[in-house]
Amino acid sequence: ADIISTVEFNHSGELLATGDKGGRVVIFQQEQENKSQSHSRGEYNVYSTFQSHEPEFDYLKSLEIEEKINKIRWLPQKNAAQFLLSTNDKTIKLWKISERDKRPEGYNLKEEDGRYRDPTTVTTLRVPVFRPMDLMVEASPRRIFANAHTYHINSISINSDYETYLSADDLRINLWHLEITDRSFNIVDIKPANMEELTEVITAAEFHPNSCNTFVYSSSKGTIRLCDMRASALCDRHSKLFEEPEDPSNRSFFSEIISSISDVKFSHSGRYMMTRDYLSVKIWDLNMENRPVETYQVHEYLRSKLCSLYENDCIFDKFECCWNGSDRQVGFMDIVMTGSYNNFFRMFDRNTKRDITLEASRENNKPRTVLKPRKVCASGKRKKDEISVDSLDFNKKILHTAWHPKENIIAVATTNNLYIFQDKTN
Amino acid sequence: MLGKGGKRKFDEHEDGLEGKVVSPTDGPSKVSYTLQRQTIFNISLMKLYNHRPLTEPSLQKTVLINNMLRRIQEELKQEGSLRPMFMTASQPADPLSDNFREAQPAFSHLTSQPLLPTDFVSTTPLESCLTPASLLEDDTFCTSPTVQHDGPTKPPPPALQPVKDSFSSALDEIEELCPAPTSAEAVAASTAADDSKDHPSESNIQKPEGLLESRTAESKLMDSLPSNFEITTSTGFLTDLTLDDILFADIDTSMYDFDPCTSATGAASKMAPVSADELLKTLAPYSSQPVTPNQPFKMDLTELDHIMEVLVGS
Repeated sequence: ADIISTVEFNHSGELLATGDKGGRVVIFQQEQENKSQSHSRGEYNVYSTFQSHEPEFDYLKSLEIEEKINKIRWLPQKNAAQFLLSTNDKTIKLWKISERDKRPEGYNLKEEDGRYRDPTTVTTLRVPVFRPMDLMVEASPRRIFANAHTYHINSISINSDYETYLSADDLRINLWHLEITDRSFNIVDIKPANMEELTEVITAAEFHPNSCNTFVYSSSKGTIRLCDMRASALCDRHSKLFEEPEDPSNRSFFSEIISSISDVKFSHSGRYMMTRDYLSVKIWDLNMENRPVETYQVHEYLRSKLCSLYENDCIFDKFECCWNGSDRQVGFMDIVMTGSYNNFFRMFDRNTKRDITLEASRENNKPRTVLKPRKVCASGKRKKDEISVDSLDFNKKILHTAWHPKENIIAVATTNNLYIFQDKTN
Repeated sequence: MLGKGGKRKFDEHEDGLEGKVVSPTDGPSKVSYTLQRQTIFNISLMKLYNHRPLTEPSLQKTVLINNMLRRIQEELKQEGSLRPMFMTASQPADPLSDNFREAQPAFSHLTSQPLLPTDFVSTTPLESCLTPASLLEDDTFCTSPTVQHDGPTKPPPPALQPVKDSFSSALDEIEELCPAPTSAEAVAASTAADDSKDHPSESNIQKPEGLLESRTAESKLMDSLPSNFEITTSTGFLTDLTLDDILFADIDTSMYDFDPCTSATGAASKMAPVSADELLKTLAPYSSQPVTPNQPFKMDLTELDHIMEVLVGS
C-alpha cells in the first residue's frame, strides 16, 4: 500500500504531492530558504497526509474498485488554501488543504477544553479573540465527482480557464465544471457498438496549456489526436492526428504494444508536446503531424528482450515523462526526464543532445553526494562500472517523475520511496 | 546538471541487438519465427485466461493481448489458410466451475472439475513444448509477418489435421453441447517447428486434450462472460473459423505414423478426439514418459469427485 502511484509539484513548486496505492495523499512542503544555509535550497518535509480514496466494492460486477491514486493535479492558488484534484479508477475528488494557525479563545459559554460552563458561573461577557496555535494542516473534500466513468480513469487535466477539467478513461473523456458534481459532458467516446471490435483504447489526455478549447488524447496504437471543442459537442473527429509511420526494420510482434503511449505532456508554451512509449520519448511539433521532431531512446537495449518483457508483463508498464521547469528564463523546456528499470531515470538535453542515466537508490548514493552517471551495457563487452542488461532489476521501476516548475529540483519515485534531487549549487 | 558523459557507444554493439533482422526465407530462422510466434500465442492465451484478479483487469492490456492474438491468427490463416488451431495453454484449474456443469453434461465427470485430468496430462508436455521466452530472445527476428516463399525449400508450415473418423463424431457431440458458434471451434496453436529433430518430444506431444480444454474454456467464456471482462473478444477472434473449415480441410494420415521424429513433413501436429479415453489412447504412444495413463487418471477422478462434492455441497 505504500507503492507510490503519482507525483506532482504545485504551480509554485513549494508543495509536492504524492499519491499511493493505498489511497493516501502525502504533501511535502519546501522549507523557506534560509539565508545562512545558502548551499542548499529548502528541503521538503511532510506537510499533510490524508486518506483521499477508500477501496470500494462494485456489487454489480463483484469486483473491487482500487483506491490507488492514479493522478493528482493541482489547481492554481487563488487564496490562502490549496486545492488539488485526486482520482482513482472511478471517482475524482477536489480537496482543499488549508492551514490553521490561530484559534479562538475566550468563549463565554465553553471552557477552553470544550466543556460547557455552568451558566450560573458566567458573570461577565467577553469577546473571544484569536490566539496563535501550532500549525495544523487540514484537508477536506470539497467536491466528489463520481459515477461518470465505466472504465478506469487514467488522466485528469485542468483547463486553462481554471473552471473546467477533463477526466479520461479507457474509452471516454468527460468534461466537468469544478463547481458542479452531478453533471459532466462526454466529449470523446471511442467505444465501438460491438465491444468485440475494440482494438484501441485511450491512454492519456491533456488540455492545451493556453487554448481552453483544445486538448489531446493518446491511444494504445501510438497515435495522438488533437481535438477542438468548438467544432462539435462530441469530439469524435479529431482536428489533427499525430502518428509516426512504423520503421519496417524494427517491426516485430510487439510493435503495437511498444508503440502504446503511456503519457503525453504539453510544453509550457503549448507549441510542443512530448509522448512516452515503451522504449522512447518523442517530441512533437503541433504543426507537424506526420512525425515527431525529436526522438530519444530511453532503453533501446530492451528491444531484444521484448518477448521476456511481454511474458513478465513489464512491457505494459506505464512510464511517465516530464519537461523541466516551465517558468525558467533560461533553458526553456530544454530538458526532458523519464524513468526506466533498475531504479534508473534518464534525462535528455534537447539542445546539446546529450543524455544521462542516473540511479535513485539509497545503497548507491549517499545523501548530499553528487549522483554518478550510470551506463547500461547492451551486449557482451562490459566495461567496468557498466551494468549488463541481464542484471537489471525489472521490479525496480521508476514510473513517476516530476520537475519543479521554477528550479532544478526533481522528484523521483521508486516503488516505495520518493527521492528529491537538486542541482548542485556552488 | 548533466554530466559530461561520453557519447553512448551504442553503435558498436548494434550487431548484438538490432542487426538480427532475419530473412523469412531462411530455413532455420523461419523455424524460429514460427516457434516464437507460437510461444507468444501461448503466452497471450495464458495471460487472458489465467488472470483472475479481484479487480477488473486493465482494459488496455486486454485489448493489446487480443490484438496480438488476432494478428497471429491472421498470419496463420494467411499461411495455412483455414487450418484449425488449438489452444495449448493449460487451462486454469478454476474453482468457478458452475458453468462447466451447465454446459457439458456429457463430459460431466471431467469438465465439471477444474480440468485436473487434463492438466495432469498436459503439464509435462506443455512444459516441454512451451519454450521459455528467454530462450527465444537471442533468436529474435524482425520480420514482417507477410512471409514470402520463394519456393518450397522448406515444407509448408505444419498444420493440424482432423484425422480420425471419430473426430467428426466427436465434433458433432460437441456441437450439440455448445451451440454457440464461437465455442464450436477448437483453438490450438501449432507447436511444431520444422526442425523437430531438435525437440522430438516437443513437436508431437500435441496436447490432444487441448481440444477438450478449448471446449470447456470456450463454453465457460460463453456462459459466464466473466463479469469483469466486458469484451468477449477473447472468443471473438475465433469467429472467423467455421466448423466447415475444420471438417473439410485436407486429411492427413500422418497421424497414424507413430514415430514422431521421422515424419517427412516435419512435425505432425495432431488433433485428437475428445473423449477422455481416446485422449489417453492417443497420448500413450506419444508420451515420452512411461506412465500408465489410466491409474493417475483414475486417481484424479476420485480427487475430482471430492472437489465436486466440496463445491456442490458448500
